[in-house]
Amino acid sequence: MRNVQLLDDLDEVETEPAPRRRGFRFPFRLFGLALVLVLVGGGLFFLRGPVSEDSPAADNRALTDTDATTKAIGDVSNALTRVFTYGPDDTATAERAATESLTGHAAADYQRLFGQVKQQVVAQRLTLKTHVVRAGLISLNGGRAQLLVFLDQVATRASKALGTPAAAQLSVTAELKDGLWRITEIKAR
Amino acid sequence: MAKQATDVDKTDVDKTEIEEAAESADAEGAEEPEKAPAAASDADTKPSERSVDEKKSEAGKPRARAVAGAVGRGAVDRMDPLRVTAIVVTLIAAIAAAWSGWSWYGAKHDDSIAYSAARDDVLQSGEQAIQNLNTLDYRSLDKSLQTWVDSSTGDLQRDITQGRAGFEQKMREAQTVSTAKVLEGAVTELDDRSGKARVIVGVEVTVTPSKGDPVVKRNRLIGELTRTRAGWKLSAVAPAPVGNA
Repeated sequence: MRNVQLLDDLDEVETEPAPRRRGFRFPFRLFGLALVLVLVGGGLFFLRGPVSEDSPAADNRALTDTDATTKAIGDVSNALTRVFTYGPDDTATAERAATESLTGHAAADYQRLFGQVKQQVVAQRLTLKTHVVRAGLISLNGGRAQLLVFLDQVATRASKALGTPAAAQLSVTAELKDGLWRITEIKAR
Repeated sequence: MAKQATDVDKTDVDKTEIEEAAESADAEGAEEPEKAPAAASDADTKPSERSVDEKKSEAGKPRARAVAGAVGRGAVDRMDPLRVTAIVVTLIAAIAAAWSGWSWYGAKHDDSIAYSAARDDVLQSGEQAIQNLNTLDYRSLDKSLQTWVDSSTGDLQRDITQGRAGFEQKMREAQTVSTAKVLEGAVTELDDRSGKARVIVGVEVTVTPSKGDPVVKRNRLIGELTRTRAGWKLSAVAPAPVGNA
């Protein structure tokens, strides 16, 4: 009986080292894993190429973010065209466009100026047509954009053209609000 | 399985027997070749001048414990310096790999960083070139025109070079001094692979005749730039069209 017990114990002694063996292999496995991690990390590090510093250029998403660039230019061009296109029979459309697409300084200035212009428009049968010739996005940081817009304006009085179209250059500041770029400031250049 | 469990319980009670068994098993080192390297590496990690016997008995002890303690196994194993070292090394490697993975991810965005830098470079070069090409002093025509040549490339440069003699003649007669100031500029197109870009620039040009008052004009210009070995140069420039719907 005792012998059997001892044999059993011996069995145990010999079968038990298995986890122990695994225990000894375990650190080596970890070393293996560490080696793999180091190789992968090192590989990625070299793939990465030269270190680039954080530059303010990277914060400006103008052109780098093509969708946002197109959207900003589109919204602003559209707003300028609609706000500066009106006739004696329809000033409401321009005004409505202004409330939609202008905000801040631009909205206040427009309201003040358009109040004066409106009477002349009706009295002198003035028509103003605006079209954007070129627009470029100077900067796009977060929800703020700075644009340069070349636009032509053709004014007619009582259906008679008033000379050549006026060429204008505008510096426009816009901000993104509820998915639409709204003009906050217009500066003639 | 159930039988083995009871056996382990029994051995727990009968400790002396186990130690005997362990030692007897230990004595037959040849039976377990794994033991030797284990003891050796043990000695490697904590170099001491213990005798071989001591090592042997030490190597035997955890074995006995392993038997005794299907219950308390692990606690001692975790203290194993090799294991601790392995864990620490792996952790460090993991952190390093994570960091380099992160910076690799950042490098993927390097493309857009490079593109941003090119955009700013184009705007700066374009504005400077357009200012240069609107600046002319009849008293130092050579210098002015050399600047024109240096700021341009391609067709524009060829036009300047070819028309230079006639232009110089005209300017000497006109005797004007032109200065330009860039009001605002923006890049409208940029293909940094082919090295082509377009800018729009608003510029204020002041032309001062030798007699009379200066005339100030505002021009809207569209410039095309081409990348050269010496940087971005103006390859075409024209006023933005007026009046075409």
